Amino acid sequence: MADPDQAGQPDPEGPTSHAPAEGPEATGTGHVALVAAIPAERSGRRRSWPRRLLGLVVPAAVLSVWWAATRFGWVSSLVLPQPGDVLTSAHDFVIGPSVRQLPGTVAFNRAFVPDLVASLHRWALGAAVGVGVALPLGMALGLSRRAEDLLDPLFQGLRSVPIFAWLPLSVIWFGIGEGSARFLVFVAVSAPVAVATADAVRQVPRAWVESARMLGTPRRALAARVYVPAALPGIVTGLRLGLTLGWMTVIVAELTGASDGVGAMMAGARETGRLDQIMVGMVVFAVVGLYADIALRAVARPFVAWSRR
Amino acid sequence: MEPEVGRLEAWGVSKRFGPVEVLDGVDLVVDPGEVLAVLGPSGCGKTTLLRVLAGLEAPDAGSVTLDGDEVKGPAPTRGLVAQHGGLFPWRRLRANVEWGPRAARRPDAAAVAEELLEATGLADFADAWPHQLSGGMRQRAAIAQVLANRPPVLLLDEPFSALDAQTRLRMHGWLRQLLMDRPVATVLVTHDVDEALLLGDRVALLSVRPSKVVEVLDVGLGAGRDHSVRQDPRYMALHRDVLGRVMGT
Repeated sequence: MADPDQAGQPDPEGPTSHAPAEGPEATGTGHVALVAAIPAERSGRRRSWPRRLLGLVVPAAVLSVWWAATRFGWVSSLVLPQPGDVLTSAHDFVIGPSVRQLPGTVAFNRAFVPDLVASLHRWALGAAVGVGVALPLGMALGLSRRAEDLLDPLFQGLRSVPIFAWLPLSVIWFGIGEGSARFLVFVAVSAPVAVATADAVRQVPRAWVESARMLGTPRRALAARVYVPAALPGIVTGLRLGLTLGWMTVIVAELTGASDGVGAMMAGARETGRLDQIMVGMVVFAVVGLYADIALRAVARPFVAWSRR
Repeated sequence: MEPEVGRLEAWGVSKRFGPVEVLDGVDLVVDPGEVLAVLGPSGCGKTTLLRVLAGLEAPDAGSVTLDGDEVKGPAPTRGLVAQHGGLFPWRRLRANVEWGPRAARRPDAAAVAEELLEATGLADFADAWPHQLSGGMRQRAAIAQVLANRPPVLLLDEPFSALDAQTRLRMHGWLRQLLMDRPVATVLVTHDVDEALLLGDRVALLSVRPSKVVEVLDVGLGAGRDHSVRQDPRYMALHRDVLGRVMGT
């Protein structure tokens, strides 16, 4: 019902669900750990308002306990800032210094936009190169036995190295900050995208390829006309995963040393013990990551709608 | 109108997969415009035979020729409709039917597809996705997709076996009519004796694995027959005879 394409069943005999199960969940990565990193598809089902309100109960309770704990001094503000202070910091960060300055502190002074732009920039550069390398690599691994034999062992080995184990090398190769951050994002994005693409291409049913061949599709056109469209749901899953991991990598890369960016802001806040500012940074990362994923899914939806029923 | 092209011959076709001998010297001839039903017990290698005729599998021995030319690989001159149809789920119905003519770079691809959608009663669903169609419509669409290439030979691999009984009955009448309107040499592989006798001009009986053709029967019940022919004593006698052979062999 969320999908306009699927509204209005034209079928008088009623729909049958006999097509192969090639949904985005079925194709793509089968790794539980990887899939857990991206928000689950809700199979197009909207939750009703009473159920949504129910979802606010626990956050509200947590917030109340938080507020009470800080308000009544159960917990030191050095360990946990007051919710109100976090809000004030967020206001300072995004809109500008408020009238009610926290005593004895330096305000954010609207660093939000340049910091966010710096972080997004690193993410975009690393992701663009990562996707640009990973998509052809994944296609080759999925399509060609020769490429798989040649590249897969090395690729699997490299992929098993945790992203942040690359950090020391990356700092030596690319220096602290800019170059290192981009390189780490590149590593984070390229691995899942290549794996998901290769998996999705391998799982394209042979019947579709044979059908295309019988209909006269030239062999060299199979990749573009059959494999890519058929594997797209799995590829999109890989892209969502890769871009999410890439965004997570941006913050850690920035925490280790960058002059600007949301992560750098948080690193600075840690130095000065501003837990409220750290929390603002966490919220910014969460919101940007979530909405970027939603945007990617919205862009991809027309191309993968066929696989969701 | 009798088409002159579409004479498919298989001589001594054998095929084994590892230790399993599937086909053991199959001989078949399909004349232009004729429907040959290939009937055999489950697991006897009917699908393998069809894949060899299609060119998707190379025979270990023997040869397949179409109008004298050896079959060496998949080609649009032989349209294959698989059990669950070959529709591409990421394409709307119209684009699926246009697939073959477009691959052949025919300028009239859209018109060809339109005509076939019309002929198969699917014109109203041209913009639907395959998964929105019922099983019967999907199989009709898969046949339309293959016929859009105007193949001299049509290969059907149990095309209606996944459908419910009533839909299957309707599809039999529909296919018989379609093949009368546009004759094309057809090999229909099935395990259903009624399907073979209703649709086939001749019926080839396959043995159990390793399969060979043990007998070819003329059905001879008239081209315009429909399901009422099942009350015909000749049909009943033929059915009993064929069923006995399929069960017995």
